[in-house]
Amino acid sequence: MKGVAAKLWAAVVGVPNGPVGPVRSADEWCTSSGVFPAFASPPSSNHFHHSTTTTLHLRHRRAAPLPSPPPPPAMAAAAIHQFAECITCHAWSPDHSMIAFCPNNNEVHIYKFFTDKWEKLHVLSKHDQIVSGIDWKNKFAVGSGAKSVCICYYEQDNNWWISKVVRKKHESSVTSVAWHPNNILLATTSTDGKCRVLSTFIKGVDTRGSQASTSTDWKFGEQIAQLDLSSMWAFGVRWSPSGKTLAYAGHNSMIYFIDDVETSPAAQNLALRDLPLRDILFLSERTVIGVGFDCNPMIFSADETGLWSFVRYLDERKVTTSTSRASQLSEALGKLYGQSKQVASSDTVEPSKPRGGVHENCITCIVPLRKGNDSIVKRFSTSGLDGKIVVWDSENHIDIKK
Amino acid sequence: MASSAAAAAAAYLDADENLEAIISRIEQKSRKIETLLKQSKPVEALKTALEGTPLKTRDERCKSANWIVVHRAMMAIRDVDGMFNSLDPEYYDILMKYLYRGLSTGDRPTCDQCLKIHEKLTEKAGLGCILRSLADTVNTV
Repeated sequence: MKGVAAKLWAAVVGVPNGPVGPVRSADEWCTSSGVFPAFASPPSSNHFHHSTTTTLHLRHRRAAPLPSPPPPPAMAAAAIHQFAECITCHAWSPDHSMIAFCPNNNEVHIYKFFTDKWEKLHVLSKHDQIVSGIDWKNKFAVGSGAKSVCICYYEQDNNWWISKVVRKKHESSVTSVAWHPNNILLATTSTDGKCRVLSTFIKGVDTRGSQASTSTDWKFGEQIAQLDLSSMWAFGVRWSPSGKTLAYAGHNSMIYFIDDVETSPAAQNLALRDLPLRDILFLSERTVIGVGFDCNPMIFSADETGLWSFVRYLDERKVTTSTSRASQLSEALGKLYGQSKQVASSDTVEPSKPRGGVHENCITCIVPLRKGNDSIVKRFSTSGLDGKIVVWDSENHIDIKK
Repeated sequence: MASSAAAAAAAYLDADENLEAIISRIEQKSRKIETLLKQSKPVEALKTALEGTPLKTRDERCKSANWIVVHRAMMAIRDVDGMFNSLDPEYYDILMKYLYRGLSTGDRPTCDQCLKIHEKLTEKAGLGCILRSLADTVNTV
């Protein structure tokens, strides 16, 4: 919109279908699991990154096979480990020493890396339907198709993994879980269209009032808030870095921003011009990237008064003003698409490609690539049903906003 | 970018309103629309018809009564491009719902008019507008 071509560099990892094993059709996947029946795209293609040198190959056998999550700069998998036939979602422990994943059933397996190999620590099998989302802070949360959320943690005294279930809060499958920065509040979205905020205080794991002054008397499993803004399925709930703002997407092409959800909730509904979002990422308190069925990440930002609005698409390759830019772009395109397509786009960029840029299908997941404890995310990666993982790098935060 | 918060505010909160009150409100609207049409203000008439649509009620009699007045105003529109110059974005979502209702009637002149408006509305409001109108099962027309 501002005429500045996206100062972003993107690296794409193409995924050959070969080594990933037989790819099931979406229909088959749906039949086999019985959750999310109306989806062409199973809602669990999470990908997560970590900074150590070891990478796991998490095998997916679905419509969208996902490759190993690459360590950001290198584009080849550093290490591949076969844990299970098929993995639907996974999450790393905060120090990256452990991994929790769901082998496409109702269990969650926890592995830890001991000097030279991965060992299975524990299997949590309290769910009675497929696991659809995991997020790991000091405890980890697991959302599932059984209308429940499990909060799992390791109990030091007994040397044992505990899984506590939050039941009867959700009326439908849980699509996304997100931890508040205080590690006590958990936000969930589900296919009943509601976004809920639950307290997950566990004695011995959490300390009362350590970070948030408001977390006084909340019990485990207590519902702090229920947001009934969307009349359709809700997806991709996320907290802003400070935890002040909560955002989630509705399947009716809406995005919702809620301030101060624990105390005095104030909601903003933003209707999108185009197709709905599937996942959200806060780059900072005032900048949000949304990804979804439009195949192209969208930037949203809040002005001084806290009013959110759509800024532009992240991947605006259509704008060609000068020849020098065009050549830069074709160079970038060569990088993006690999050698095969470089010839086709030698000096002009097809201006009329209706949607999609780097991604050619629905983007289902976006995760930050943080360095240390940066509050502003400058690098992030997206994955989608086209089987690509794209790493995005903004030169600086300002460029994204303009 | 259509602001659907405004549209939600424009839509009358009819959940608690009784059916007779809704019907009599629609009758008043109908008279106002006839007056506006006589003054050749079809866009104003359409706005009036769309305002206060009973979205929440499940009563088919109320839905049909409002559809009749919307249909009356919609069919009077001759200049579709001109209409969008004076129709605010807050009406887009609800207008799209009525276009689909119109298309479902199968009546030739109605469908012709609906398709004509639909083309322009999609240009203006995007695919998101279509999605919201199809996906919303709570606020129906």
